[in-house]
Amino acid sequence: MSDDALQYDAIVIGAGHNGLVAAGYLAKAGKNVVVLDSAEAVGGAAQTAEISPDYQVSTAAHLVSGFPRQIEKDLKLSKHGLAWATNDMATVALDRDGKHIMLSSSRKSDIATLTAHAAQDADAWKAFEGRVGKYVKLLKPLLDKRLPDVSAEAATKAAAMLALRLEKMGPADLRAFLQLVPSSVASLLDRSFEGDLIKGALSLEATLGAHAGPHTPGTAFSYVYKKTQEAIGQGMGYPVGGTGALTEALASAAEGLGARIRLESPVIEIIIEEGRIKGVRLADGTVFEAPIVLSSVDPKTTCLDLVGARHFETPAVTHVSRIKMKGATAKINLALEGLPTFANFSDREYGGRLLIAPDMGTVERSFTAAKRGELTLDPVMELVIPSYHDPRLAPMGHHVMSIIVPNVPFDVDGGWDTQKDPFVKRVIDTISDYAPDLSDKIIAGEVLTPPELEDRFGWGNRGWHQGNMSFDQLLSFRPAPGMAHYEAGVSGLYLCGVGTHPGGGLTGLPGKLSAEAALAAEKVS
Amino acid sequence: MTEDVTEHSVSEEVTDVSRDSPLNGPGVPPDPAWFEQAADEAPYARHVLTTPLHLDVADESRTNSWTAWAGYTVADVYTSIEQEYDALRTRAGLSDISPLTKVRLSGEDVVPYLDRLLTRPVGNLEPNQSTRAVLCDGNGCVIAEGVLFRLGDEEFRLVLRSSHLDWLRQSALGFDIQLEDVSGTIAGLSLAGPMADSVLRLAGMEKPAALAKHQGVWVELGGMPVYLSRTGMMGGLEYELWCDPADASIVWRRLLGVGQKVGLRPVGSAVRNIARLENGVALEGVDYLSAFTAVDPSDALSPYDLCLGGCVDLDRSVFNGQAALRKTAESGSRNALVGFELDLADAGVGGPICNGDKQVGRITSLAWSPTLQCTIALGLVRASALGASDGFTIKTQTGENIPAKLTKRPFLRFS
Ligand SMILES: Cc1cc2nc3c(=O)[nH]c(=O)nc-3n(C[C@H](O)[C@H](O)[C@H](O)COP(=O)(O)OP(=O)(O)OC[C@H]3O[C@@H](n4cnc5c(N)ncnc54)[C@H](O)[C@@H]3O)c2cc1C
Repeated sequence: MSDDALQYDAIVIGAGHNGLVAAGYLAKAGKNVVVLDSAEAVGGAAQTAEISPDYQVSTAAHLVSGFPRQIEKDLKLSKHGLAWATNDMATVALDRDGKHIMLSSSRKSDIATLTAHAAQDADAWKAFEGRVGKYVKLLKPLLDKRLPDVSAEAATKAAAMLALRLEKMGPADLRAFLQLVPSSVASLLDRSFEGDLIKGALSLEATLGAHAGPHTPGTAFSYVYKKTQEAIGQGMGYPVGGTGALTEALASAAEGLGARIRLESPVIEIIIEEGRIKGVRLADGTVFEAPIVLSSVDPKTTCLDLVGARHFETPAVTHVSRIKMKGATAKINLALEGLPTFANFSDREYGGRLLIAPDMGTVERSFTAAKRGELTLDPVMELVIPSYHDPRLAPMGHHVMSIIVPNVPFDVDGGWDTQKDPFVKRVIDTISDYAPDLSDKIIAGEVLTPPELEDRFGWGNRGWHQGNMSFDQLLSFRPAPGMAHYEAGVSGLYLCGVGTHPGGGLTGLPGKLSAEAALAAEKVS
Repeated sequence: MTEDVTEHSVSEEVTDVSRDSPLNGPGVPPDPAWFEQAADEAPYARHVLTTPLHLDVADESRTNSWTAWAGYTVADVYTSIEQEYDALRTRAGLSDISPLTKVRLSGEDVVPYLDRLLTRPVGNLEPNQSTRAVLCDGNGCVIAEGVLFRLGDEEFRLVLRSSHLDWLRQSALGFDIQLEDVSGTIAGLSLAGPMADSVLRLAGMEKPAALAKHQGVWVELGGMPVYLSRTGMMGGLEYELWCDPADASIVWRRLLGVGQKVGLRPVGSAVRNIARLENGVALEGVDYLSAFTAVDPSDALSPYDLCLGGCVDLDRSVFNGQAALRKTAESGSRNALVGFELDLADAGVGGPICNGDKQVGRITSLAWSPTLQCTIALGLVRASALGASDGFTIKTQTGENIPAKLTKRPFLRFS
């Protein structure tokens, strides 16, 4: 295939992980595919880059927890260089006095650390995990397959199936589940635990990346949903080479299967002719033609800007224009000349996912501050030392630290120009409460405020997932009522980004399921 | 009919006498302030609205018989159904149609907007032409029918029986158009009947007959600018006059004043309803529910169900309802809104229409047609029943089955 070919069987917009997965599956089915991305590198929000020479880190997304083994196998990703540095990370709730709680490693050690904190929470954890496990089992079959549309008859069938499985859970569990759906994670955790630390950590897990606090209704379900996504994945971890290595492997696999990836190719229009997809137009005017277009750009932008509202019937436009996308996060990446010292840390803890969220009040306050456009005094965060399992990210003995700070306003009071330094200082000071020698070890750092994340990845103030992962925007309602089957309402147009079912994080499932939908539709016609 | 004429002239005297009624007294204009909204009144506080012609209409009422139309108080009967009907069909009738919703649509994208909104493209509509407009929802069910006027290259006016502004606004997303509800700033009068041209001529207009059907033109009537269109729902020669609410009363009085000579009478809703039925026109909210009002989805009807298939042009760029209508067009419609003639008037609206022993539909509108000398009805029947060899019957309130003859619409044809 020549490099300037302009006719394809399918065009994929966006070389983020979902676009690449979609391209891989389409190419595997024998389609002649081109992937177009505006960026200079593949990966979207999953890229690895240097903080400073010799110090590499996952620039934005840093953990993979929901990537299914099936996609890895189907696309032969290990052949294309994918290796996991770890996929067995523990979650560690940091405690100022060194009495950290370690979770999701093995049940025995979880319970041991909990017992040290509060004996009753150790028992509660067993019950809590058991209950959440049941809900996960209930939802899991829905998450890795295409869902029927809410308007379709099949939805009735699916609802009946779900009802049957709910029924089977027994009345007590059923009641608890129905109660859980609209609840806040705070009320769920308050019902279950005594200790502030465990509640703080779990509430952060539930709300990370969303425009929500522990008391926001629906966050209990968000927690269960996240756990379900994890259950579909292969454990929490990251690839050797950071999350960028995952997308590199996906790109290589897709190319190996015959797909072409064209970077620095911003799509400005999806061309419709006589109600059908004709192709796409780039900013420089180049037109690529294909009967099928899959877009991993968020559904709102895809439908309203790239295609244009006039090509849809009113209800579709109304639904899409109402997709809620909100939430801003900052990312701080540090190059360190040695491992910072956390009190009472074992190997497993250094290699874990560290959460700073001493109690739910602190998490809620950070959300409240963000709503007001302010920065909280006590930031909460998720940090990882990726070089711990992947030493090649930094020179011998040196390390990199990757920090996600949620609930950071996009437009901060006073402007980021003046607020950036005090913000970074507050984050470093907060970590120093747990690892006092951190400041001494910092060699270099990279701070990505929400506006900077917007510039680099297009994820500024719109959450992480092209649409909030709230109950009203999940399952058959994702991305919008009437669009759950990946078809966007124009013949030949599919949505394949994280805005579609099953949604957020590095799961590749939207890409896979969308490609399958496109291939299935072709067979029918 | 001769009898009617005498009756007519008798009552004309009565009308003359009552022209000096105490309401506006000789030479004393009615005080419009009675009906004005007080400054501190919330916009939703009024449930009973009056049209700009209310005082004039009230002045003509001899029966005090009123009805509600879209929240507005309108005259149901002015004098008697017989007199008004006779005037309408043999001379001329004047009605207040101000309660209609009027929406002004303009801007660069107004044609693509309307093409997406309506079941038929509007690009070919010439300025000062009008056409029947059908709006469907996403399920291909009729939201409303109306009349669309093209007033300029980039200016249209959509006239509907009830307000669907929310839908019109939602549909505007992504189009560069201006959408204004001008219902309150345009008064509407309907002038219909064989003598309508004479009335206009007497009122000082030249050559009204030059206006073709569906056409409109700006005219001056007693110094007032009026948009005159050859539109209406009652069949025969009919005009609608659209003007500033402040001028409406003068236009109304002038027409009534000069029209007396040829027997023009004010015509209320009751007779308008008979007349539109004779003309075979189905009404939203009467013969069918708007798709948005139908609580049970099976009560929402497609244009094919309403026998409006002629207003649907499927093979073109996307429009609301297209995907669903394609399917309906393929599978065939479930229902058909058809006309019946029957011998007896004892049946009621909602009454069952039967085919053999089986009920196959129900009556949606029904009236005695003085011209046809029979009862005419619109009924919604199952499409499958149309081919049946058995005739249709209608069950009366006393349980009797009377034959109903399937009749092509319109019932009444004008040469
Ligand atoms: C700071 C941050 C931290 C995160 N951390 C995690 C984490 O630790 N774990 C996790 O699982 N998830 C995390 N996420 C979420 C995760 O990154 C996203 O859910 C995921 O990357 C979405 O993948 P995608 O392929 O659907 O979209 P993207 O990765 O956003 O890819 C979309 C691609 O489309 C391209 N594009 C956009 N517009 C156009 C156009 N007009 N023409 C051509 N190309 C275009 C973009 O350049 C981009 O490459 C994080 C997100 C952020 C912002």
